[in-house]
Order: sequence, then structure tokens, then C-alpha cells
Amino acid sequence: MTAAALVLAALLAAGCVVLVALPFLREPDPESDDLGELDEAERQRLELLEARDRALTALKELEFDHRTGTVSDEDYRQLVGPLRRDAATALQALERERGEAAADEDVRKGRPTRERTLSG
Amino acid sequence: MARSSNSPRIARRANPARLVIALSVAAALAIFLVYTSIAGGGNPSIQPSALPGHKGQVQLAGRVVGPVRGDAHAGGLRFALRDVGGTRATEVPVVYTGSVPDLFRAGRDIVLQGRLRKGTFVADPGTMITKCPSKYSPKRSGGSA
Amino acid sequence: MPELGHAALLVTLGLVLYALGAGAAAAHLGRRRLAHSARNALVAAFFSTLVAAAVLVTALVRHDFSLVYVAEHTSRELPTWYTISAFWGGQEGSLLLWLLVLTGFGALAVRLNRRWAGDLIVWVVPVFAAVATFFAFLLVAVANPFETQPAPSDGAGLNPSLQNPYMLAHPPLLYLGYVGLTVPFAFALAALLSGRTDERWLIATRRWTLLAWTALGVGQLLGAHWAYVEVGWGGYYAWDPVENAALMPWLAATAFLHSVMIQEKRGMLRIWNMVLVIGAFSLSLFGTFLTRSGVVNSIHSFTQSSIGPWFLGFIGVTVGVSLAVLFWRLPLLRSPTRLESPFSREAAFLYNNLLLLALCLTILWGVVYPLLSEAVRGESVVLGRSYYDFFLRIFGLPLLLLMGMGPLVAWRRASFRSLVTTFRWPTLVALVAGVVLILLGSGSSIPGLVTYTFASFVGATIVIEFARGTRARKALGATSWLGAFTSLIGRNRRRYGGYVVHAAIVLLAIGVAGSSAFQTVAPDTKLRPGQSMRVGGYTLRYRQLTQHQGANALEERAHLAVLRGGKPLGSLAAGKNAYAVEQQVSNEVGIRTDWLRLEDLFVIADQIDPNGTVYFRVFVKPLVNLIWIAGIVFVLGSVITLWPDAREQRRLVSRSYEVGIPAASS
Repeated sequence: MTAAALVLAALLAAGCVVLVALPFLREPDPESDDLGELDEAERQRLELLEARDRALTALKELEFDHRTGTVSDEDYRQLVGPLRRDAATALQALERERGEAAADEDVRKGRPTRERTLSG
Repeated sequence: MARSSNSPRIARRANPARLVIALSVAAALAIFLVYTSIAGGGNPSIQPSALPGHKGQVQLAGRVVGPVRGDAHAGGLRFALRDVGGTRATEVPVVYTGSVPDLFRAGRDIVLQGRLRKGTFVADPGTMITKCPSKYSPKRSGGSA
Repeated sequence: MPELGHAALLVTLGLVLYALGAGAAAAHLGRRRLAHSARNALVAAFFSTLVAAAVLVTALVRHDFSLVYVAEHTSRELPTWYTISAFWGGQEGSLLLWLLVLTGFGALAVRLNRRWAGDLIVWVVPVFAAVATFFAFLLVAVANPFETQPAPSDGAGLNPSLQNPYMLAHPPLLYLGYVGLTVPFAFALAALLSGRTDERWLIATRRWTLLAWTALGVGQLLGAHWAYVEVGWGGYYAWDPVENAALMPWLAATAFLHSVMIQEKRGMLRIWNMVLVIGAFSLSLFGTFLTRSGVVNSIHSFTQSSIGPWFLGFIGVTVGVSLAVLFWRLPLLRSPTRLESPFSREAAFLYNNLLLLALCLTILWGVVYPLLSEAVRGESVVLGRSYYDFFLRIFGLPLLLLMGMGPLVAWRRASFRSLVTTFRWPTLVALVAGVVLILLGSGSSIPGLVTYTFASFVGATIVIEFARGTRARKALGATSWLGAFTSLIGRNRRRYGGYVVHAAIVLLAIGVAGSSAFQTVAPDTKLRPGQSMRVGGYTLRYRQLTQHQGANALEERAHLAVLRGGKPLGSLAAGKNAYAVEQQVSNEVGIRTDWLRLEDLFVIADQIDPNGTVYFRVFVKPLVNLIWIAGIVFVLGSVITLWPDAREQRRLVSRSYEVGIPAASS
């Protein structure tokens, strides 16, 4: 039994080593070995997107609560204003960021800067 | 409501969250202190060798030494208890009434509540718990839901 | 084949050490191929652990008693299912199960999230690997499941009380829970280490946390049910340290599950969430340590084992390192929003956190107190049942009430008028229920009465929420009431699934209150054949004592006829089984369940004298079966909440697309 165990163990170890070395075996000479993490701009956009989604979800929840009767008409009128403002702010910030990113892109590629339309 | 981001009112407005947390922690501690002072800390859990001279309610943990005589439901079950891993010199006589767990026998480790009375440990009825000899299984009687 | 098993574990140790080192280096230096290689190492570690597990299972099934582990926990006549369950019956096997589930979950979690949260995953891998290294090290160096011996003819067998279907499922479920909590922990730590404290770690781990939490909850209920029917001392929870070992992480995980909703919706409580998830994971480790190390005096106590100090050390390192990393990244966790009013849904969640944490810490204090008092005063003092019961009421009852109030309070700031409107009906229901209950005699126990009243409050809020939601959907144009109901749940899975889980907790509270505060006990009744006794409205007549040789035990039973109000209800048998091989006697209780009233008549034959006289202990436990029903409702609610939501998926995919990262692969 020990001989069989030895063979199986050796096979297992070999298989694992191959699996671990696979990325290096597949690409012995890659163009770039960088992890490709999010840069500052992308992270900012992610945060803005999350803020926008949060604001929109809060609005939707308020609508739902109002429709089911958990929130009264009066309270709804009071609460919906600030939430709409938050959503608008988030959307505007996102628009602005997109505009800036587009402008940066133009500058990088040497194109003439396009007209930036004002939102709202 | 008008929002002014430069008003000194913002600086003075305390964050309610901090206050809430502080009050809650204080309340919890107060409850805790009141409880422990009224209801007491709990019973000391000791081995038979430490029993002599111990007045009051204790939890006694030890190994059963035979012979086991009597009837737990009529008159009381009588046996002796010694330190787990100790010698016969640490033995204490015990009398127990109430339900006896199935695992009970000489050589088993058990836990009892009660107090020392005139050299004999008189156990509170139904408080015997046996330690399981093998791994991973509880066995007890006594106590309610 | 034990050498193969041991070798496989060595391979695992090597792989996870590599995953730890290479993973950390890859994350720090930003090397793509090295990170990929570390990920593969984690996957490979799962496969080699699987090989070791297969070796153990094979040895068990083939009754290979040359393995010490197999000989200690099985015997030839043991039915196959229980032989397989002996895998996790002992210390070494349970550590192997931990490692297997850990590497499995790690490999899966990493694989599912590698594209859309790649910058998180690079740090998740070394954290997972670190935990796996600890367990692999224990298995290789300290607690080897593959130790051999000259084979005896037969093994020691499994404790008869463990030969029970509940004991098949209870440990694996608990382990799924404990290990499952590693996933949110690893992602949380990865978020801190990488500085990526955006929502992605929460979204990636939400279902993992839910699954682990559900498994932990169901595992505990199964354990309680086993204690109730099999051990048969008349109860289902004894506040034993090993029972508490599973309850504490569950409470912390409950707080975490709720608290992350606030972070998702309002960006608040970020530091709380980090602390809670670190706490939940540390308590899982502590729970495993308590169950397996014999440190605390418990009826589940094992012999003082060698792994105790190692576990304690690892827990210390985990807590220390996690808190250090948290402190280092504290500036990133400042939330943009703050609490506006103590009467808001955010505040309700904060109170929820505080109460759950308080309950958890109280239980922790009760568990470690004997150790502390022994270290300080030289005498270990044990805190009894009354300590736990007191604090369960003080913290648990407000929690119950909060469960009903939270969903009704508005976000940000609730006006007094809105509170009055939303609470009007549930409060009325609760008051009426309270009065009715007092008239029915529930005033005999104040905590019981309060529990029932609070439970009716919460129950009313849940029913009203479902009713209002269904009506609103019907108004939107649903075809039928049933259609409106199902589409309501389908479109708001998290909210209404959560309500179902809350309903389960309500049932649990009622069941616990009924069976403890309102139970009737006849502690010590001596009956000769032919005699009767009365308890809680039932009359029990002891008819005869029988003896029967079963498959592996001599079964002695006292047969009783049950009557209520003169009407015969059938019969009941209680007694003892004497197991020849294991040399043990087990208690076999007789339970008669009244499904209409949900109460149990619970009979223990305490002592059977040779002349046929039996000492009986009888309980009448009202509403106890609600506890088990609550378990089923709990699972139902979790399934609803866990169910994949196509719309949510689409939203996440579009968000990833907008940022420019690849979408999640599942």
C-alpha cells in the first residue's frame, strides 16, 4: 500500500505545482504584469455611481413606503424634497465627472476640446 | 428647513449617535452592576480537597468513589467524591437525592451543587451532572428548560 | 493509505503557505501573474484537502482500525451513515472538516469575484491563506488524523446518543456557519488592506454571510432539538459554554447582517461593520476553541487537549492584527452622513447593534468568568442559569420589540405624529392580546406575559406590512390577490424575506416563553404498576414495564396510558436503553405532542427499580413545538432573501460597465 500511496502523493504534488505555475507557464513573457487596479479616476467614478444608486434607491423606497401607506402624504411631501435634491446632486456630480474625463481623454489624444454642455 | 453650511450652529450641534451610545453603555453597565450586587456572582466551583471549611453553597466537581449505596429517591444516594487526579486522602462523603444521570457510576467525573454539613456534602436535589467519558456528548439530568 | 492522507495535508500546508506569501507579495507589488498563481494555490489546496478527506472517509467506511481515529470513533456494527459522520466526531476529523470547507469556500468566493472585484481579491487570497495555514499546521503537526497503530479487532464505537439523525446534520451545519463567516471577514480585511472601502466588499459577501448565518442558526436549533428528544433532561438549552460558543458568533453575525444595510443605504456605521465582522469571525474561532479544547468546565468537556493553547494564540493574533489594520485605515472609514435623530430607522439599527452586542458580551462574560476568577482568585466561580436568563430578558425583550418597530420608523427623522400613526394598530393589537392573555392566566409569569405581548406587537406589524404591500401591488394592476402577494415578495425579496425571518423569531420567542415560563413540572413521582398521577391537566396511568432486546441495546420501557379530562388520548413509553458494546445506559424519554395545542407531554423515567417501581419526572410544555416550526419558517425566509435577483444583477453589471471593470461572472 505504501508504494501506491507514494505514487498518488507524488501525482498530487505534481498536479498542484503545475496548477500554481500555470500563469507563468502560459505567459512566460507578458506585455504587462501589472495588476490593472482601478486608478484614482475610476475609483472616484465608482464612488459617485454608488452615491447615485444610493440616492435613487432611497427615492424608490420612499415611493414604495408611501404607496403602501407606511408614510403619510404629509410626511412624503416633507421627505421627498431632500431626497430628490440628493439624487440630483449625485447625477450632476456624475455628469461633471464624465465631462471632465472626456475632456482629459481629448487632451491626452491631442484632439480639440469639445464643447461642454451645461447640465440642468 | 434652511441649510446653511457656514453657520456656527453646526459646530455646536452634538452628534446624537455619540450620546445614544454613551447612554446605552452606561445603562448596560448600571444594569450589570445592579444585577451582580443583588443576585450575587455565582457559586464557586471547587474540588473536594478544597471543601473542608467552606461554608455556604458551592459547586463540587470530582470523581465518584464507591461503594455507592442507597436510593436517590428514597433516603438518598450515598457515595464519596475525590479530586480528579487526586488521592483517596481528598475524599469527601456525599449524600444525593433527586434524579441520577445514566452515566453515573464509580469512576465517573460529576458536578453537584450543595453545601457541606457536618462533614458530609449534602447535595441540592437534582443538581447532578455527569461529565461524558468520551468526546463530544452531553449527558445531564436536573435543571429545567 | 494513511500516508497518502498525511502527505496530502503536507501538500495543503505548502500550498497555503505559498498562497499567503505569494498572495501578499502580489497584492503589495501589483503583480498579475503572481496573484493568479496565489489564487490557483488556494484552489489546489482545496483539492489536496479533498484527497485527505477522501482517504479518511474511505478508511472509515472500510473499518480500517489501523487508523487510531477510526478505531476511536467507530465500530463494525455501526450503521454506515454514522460511520461516515464519525469523520467530524473527533478533534482531528473536525479540524479536517474546517480546513476542507475553508479552502472550498475560499476557492469559490475568490473565483466568483475575481473579475469585478479583482483589486479586492488580491488581498482576500492571503487572508484566507493565513487562516488555512493555521488549520493545516495543526493537522500536520499537532492533531494528525492519520496516526496509525496495530489494528485492533474492533473499534470503540460511537456514543449511542450521537447515533441520531440530528447529530448527523448538527456539526456540519455549524461548521458551514463558522467557516462561512471567514468569507466576510476576509473581504473586510482585504478592503482595509487594499484601501478599497467602497461597497463592493459588502455586495460580494452578502449572500455568504446570509448562508453562514442561516446554517449557524439551523445548526443550533437542530442541536437544541437533539438535546430535547435524545438527551432528554427536560429542556433544549442549558447555557452550557459549548452551546454559547455557537450562539455568540450568531448574535454578532445578526448585528452585522442588519448593520450593513445601513452602510448600503446611508453610508453610515462603517466602523461598526468592520468591528462586527471581525468580532463574528473571532467568536467563531473562539467557539471552535471552546468546543474542542476542554478549557472551560462544561458537560461537553473533552480531555485537556493539546490544541487549546494554539487556538488561543491564533485568536489573539487574529484580533490583534485585525484591529491594528482597522486602526491604520480608520481615516478611510469616516462616513459622510451622520445620525440626525434618535428617532429614525438608522437609530433603530444602532440600538439593534447595541442590544445584540450587549447580549453577546454578557454571554461571553458568563463563559470566561470561571477562567478569570480562577486566575485572579484561585477559585473558579460558575455563573448559573439565572444570570443568563436575566440578561436574556433584559436585552432580548427590547430586541424583540425593536424588531417590530424598526421597519415602521422613517429614515433620517421620524416625526412624533408619524410614529403615532404607524404604531397605532400594532399597539392596539398588543394591548388587546395582553388583556386576553391575563384573562387566560398568563399573568402567572411577568416575563412570559411581556414576551407574548411584544410578540403580538411584532406579529401585527409583520402582517400589516404584508397586507399593505399586497394591496398596493393589487392597485398597481396585479391580476389577483395571490398574484399581488407573490409579485410583492418577488420584487422585494430582501425586505419581505426579512419579514418572514422576523416572523420566525416571533414564533421562537413565543415557543421559548411558553415552554419555560408557563411549563408545569412534576419533579419526582413514584409509581407502582397500576398507579396514576396528575400533571397539568393530564392523567398518566402506569400500566406495565417491558424489556426488549433491540439491535444493539436492551430496551426497558415503562408504558403509560394518557388521559385528559377523562378522555383517553393514547399511550406513552419512557425508559432506558442499555448498550452492550459501549457499556452505556441512555435515557429514552416519552414525548406526546398535541399538534392542536402545540404542547408536549414530556415523560422521563428517572429510576427503574427491579420490582417495577418507577420514579417519573413529567413536564407539560406549552407551545414548545413553535420552536421547531420557527426553524422551518426561518429557513423559508432565508431562502427568499438569498434567492438571486435578476434586476439587482443587471444594476450591478451596468455599474461595473460604467466604471470600466469587467462584470461579475455570476
